[in-house]
Amino acid sequence: METSINKKTSLDRKFDKLREREETGKPRKGIQNRALSKMLSNKLAVIGLVFVSIVIVASIIAPLICKYDPQKVNLRMILKPPSSEHILGTDKVGRDVYARIIYGGRISILVGLGSAIGAALIGVSIGAYTGYRGGWIDSLILRISEIVMAFPQIILVLLLVAILGQSLMNLMVIFTLTGWGGLFRMTRAQMLSLREEEYVQALQAFGLSSFRISFKHVLPNALGPIMVNITLSTAMFILQEAGLSFLGLGVPLNIPTWGNILNVAIDLRILEDFWWVWMPVAGMISLFVLGINFIGDGLRDSTDPSLQG
Amino acid sequence: MTAYFLRRLLLLAPTLLVISFLIYLGLELTPGDAVSYMIPIEAMRDMTPEALNKMREALGLNDPFLIRYFRWLTNVLQGDFGYSFASGVAIKDLVLDRLPATLELSLFALLLSTIIGTFFGTISALKRGSAIDNSFTFFGMLGVSIPEFIFGLLAIVFFSLQLKWFPVGGRLMPGYETFWDHLPHLILPASVLSLIMTAGVMRYTRSSMLDSMNREFIKTARSKGIPEWRVNFLHGFRVALIPVIVLIGFRLPMLIGGTVIIEQVFQWPGVGEQFVLAVRGRNYPLIMMIAFLSVNAVLIASFLIDLLTALLDPRVKLE
Amino acid sequence: MSLDKILSVRNLKTYFYTNNQCTKAVNGVSFDVKKGKTLCIVGESGCGKSVTAYSIMQLLPKLSRIEEGEIIYHSTNGDIRIDQLSRNGKKMRSLRGEDIAMIFQDPMTALNPVYSIGFQIGENLKYHTRLSNEEIKSKSIELLREMDIPIPDQRVLEFPHQFSGGMRQRAMIAMAMACSPKILIADEPTTALDVTIQAQIFELMNKLKQDHETAIILITHDMGVVTELADDVVVMYMGNIVESGSIEEVLRSPAHPYTKALLNSIPVLGRGKNQEIKPIRGSTPDPLNRPKGCQFMPRCDFSDDKCLTVPLAVELSETHTTRCWYSDKILQDE
Repeated sequence: METSINKKTSLDRKFDKLREREETGKPRKGIQNRALSKMLSNKLAVIGLVFVSIVIVASIIAPLICKYDPQKVNLRMILKPPSSEHILGTDKVGRDVYARIIYGGRISILVGLGSAIGAALIGVSIGAYTGYRGGWIDSLILRISEIVMAFPQIILVLLLVAILGQSLMNLMVIFTLTGWGGLFRMTRAQMLSLREEEYVQALQAFGLSSFRISFKHVLPNALGPIMVNITLSTAMFILQEAGLSFLGLGVPLNIPTWGNILNVAIDLRILEDFWWVWMPVAGMISLFVLGINFIGDGLRDSTDPSLQG
Repeated sequence: MTAYFLRRLLLLAPTLLVISFLIYLGLELTPGDAVSYMIPIEAMRDMTPEALNKMREALGLNDPFLIRYFRWLTNVLQGDFGYSFASGVAIKDLVLDRLPATLELSLFALLLSTIIGTFFGTISALKRGSAIDNSFTFFGMLGVSIPEFIFGLLAIVFFSLQLKWFPVGGRLMPGYETFWDHLPHLILPASVLSLIMTAGVMRYTRSSMLDSMNREFIKTARSKGIPEWRVNFLHGFRVALIPVIVLIGFRLPMLIGGTVIIEQVFQWPGVGEQFVLAVRGRNYPLIMMIAFLSVNAVLIASFLIDLLTALLDPRVKLE
Repeated sequence: MSLDKILSVRNLKTYFYTNNQCTKAVNGVSFDVKKGKTLCIVGESGCGKSVTAYSIMQLLPKLSRIEEGEIIYHSTNGDIRIDQLSRNGKKMRSLRGEDIAMIFQDPMTALNPVYSIGFQIGENLKYHTRLSNEEIKSKSIELLREMDIPIPDQRVLEFPHQFSGGMRQRAMIAMAMACSPKILIADEPTTALDVTIQAQIFELMNKLKQDHETAIILITHDMGVVTELADDVVVMYMGNIVESGSIEEVLRSPAHPYTKALLNSIPVLGRGKNQEIKPIRGSTPDPLNRPKGCQFMPRCDFSDDKCLTVPLAVELSETHTTRCWYSDKILQDE
């Protein structure tokens, strides 16, 4: 007869504790609201939220925390390492790196968040309406979104930049035009499934217009995933802007953005010897986007009904 | 079987047609036409408007829009992609010259990301909640948050400049032409390019595996007394793989787009770098054609992925 | 047929630890399974009957374990303590499939959709026998034929989604019976099927019992199924056995209020349309908020304060046992 050695694994010990608690009748404790407790217990999401908020606030109060004008050229202080004068040193033409990062944040965050919200507004409204209506307009717009999404996004963006020219406004418009597809698809899918629900048919029988039905009654259900999508899109657009500006094809070089600042790093000399010109910015972008991703994940975990329990 | 695939291929045609039309529209609306590249600017200034117009007539540039479109389309289908503004060289030649480099880069990155992503995603799922799982998930997060070009820069600083393990950029030196000579140059850019894809694949494989291992047929498999590795891989992973392949198909455009930036960072002489140069120089014919070709690449690749999915999943009805 | 025991379960306790809580799914269960006989474990959803079956096969989910008790398999080479074997260890794996096999409720989800039926049956044979690939293939076809699946040599290459519901279940049974196990555990095998198909499956299982002397443990919530197939019955409620005995004893003279209530709650063919069907009043208690004492007390018409202490087992005959203070009252009340 073969028996196994009865080892107590750590899992077993956890079980023993739970069993003991059950048998001595201890009650459950903790925060009652499920979504809130899930959110808070997700430490990463909280850390992300804190960090992102700090950066946003810093970029808003930029004049208060920066001594120098980010655009001010000072040819006597070229490529100086960090010092008490310039916390993060100076760049190729003597501008204060720290100030450029803080001010640059303004534009980068503006582009990211603005485009994400713009894409969301367009994507959700079109998706809700055509998904509900159906018919030829639905097929047409679906086709259009398929075509837009068949292009690798960066290629489409660069193509439009080449045609429309480079400017801050143009970039945001281009991002919005190329980015509405995802939310459109999602909202439309939601619509299609909810359309068949009985309460919608009841509303129809009461004579409510399709517009009202799709917006007032069905959208609130989709709010959770939409918020998650906006959060993650912001991260995506910030990364895209950084990449484009790094190539010199995003926001024009005279306006500081995180990507612009990195434009100099193409030069191997700067890369190797003058780390303060590019590494802090690189770190800033990465941590900011990481923070947003944490928040987005946290939001997703707490609002996704299928993940509960 | 073949009928199914032919039918799928046929479905692609309308989309490609519409896209080709839009591309041609773009070509029409942007400044410059065939005459612009044929005659240098200085010479054009000396020509009278009538002479220029005569040239245009002769080239058929004054014909109605649709006729020009169809002429252009037939040319494209035969491989004539027009000429570059900058150099006057046939676009076909320009692109073909650079295509192998980009293909090398993207295929290698695709391979890397698929293998590494599925491998680590599976291990993450099987050891769910452990330190390994958590650290993989965290690295995955880093992978999608840090811009790829920054990864590229860091990789260059660290591996090429400090450690001197790999050459700094470019693809090859004159005289060294085989694939094996490319390899040291290829590893860094391909790895960096694959990073975002790997993070996504890893994460998706993990959730797909968790899903798959929760299904009833896993219990059935265990009830037969077969070894655990077989349960995990032949049953669990095999079924989890199908949605992952679909995801990879969705993410292919990202891979192709990624070459644009990576080729810049590593000075890799591919189509992506060519595209950036074209955009900088407002070289519209080249811009349009490369964009068009990239879409074709995406659609063909998606089609191949569909094929693969049908092969892997017997439930896909071949209707 | 000998009345030898092939499996003995003694005071089995299996607890679940999901959601950071300890749930006592099975809380002290004992019964015997006899060679070549069908034992039905019957009860409502959540009473612990499936968990008992999974405990025997050691197929429990990660967040659960067998706390106490013994599961003894009386093999030809002596007694084996299943509860002491490691879950996916070599010994347990050699038992599974070869000595004890299991079939599940929904054959569509219980079979792997990407492999052919032949492959899945073949896996069982591959790891428990020394047959060659050729022999495995022909044995698989034989098994399908034995289960009355037409054109088995074609079917063996097909995939689960190409079978009809009843045929899928037969295929699953073929897979389970591939190595002629001594015990077949069937977890609600017909719940997902039409009533007419149900009858066919039951016929098939009886045939297997006769041809292979397989003991069958049949898990069900349907008393109708019990009356059809059982030789012996075990009635479970909230993790405990409330009554057990041979089918005649339990059917003719139920000695527990719950058994009685179950029997009264199903329509019986032949009693006419005006027969009285009494649903059991109340609902199953929350396992995290159990009543004190006898678990059935809140829903019982025969209870009083004595029932606040858990009743002891009462042996009404050599085979018939029940857990109720008032079993006499129940037996007389008809």
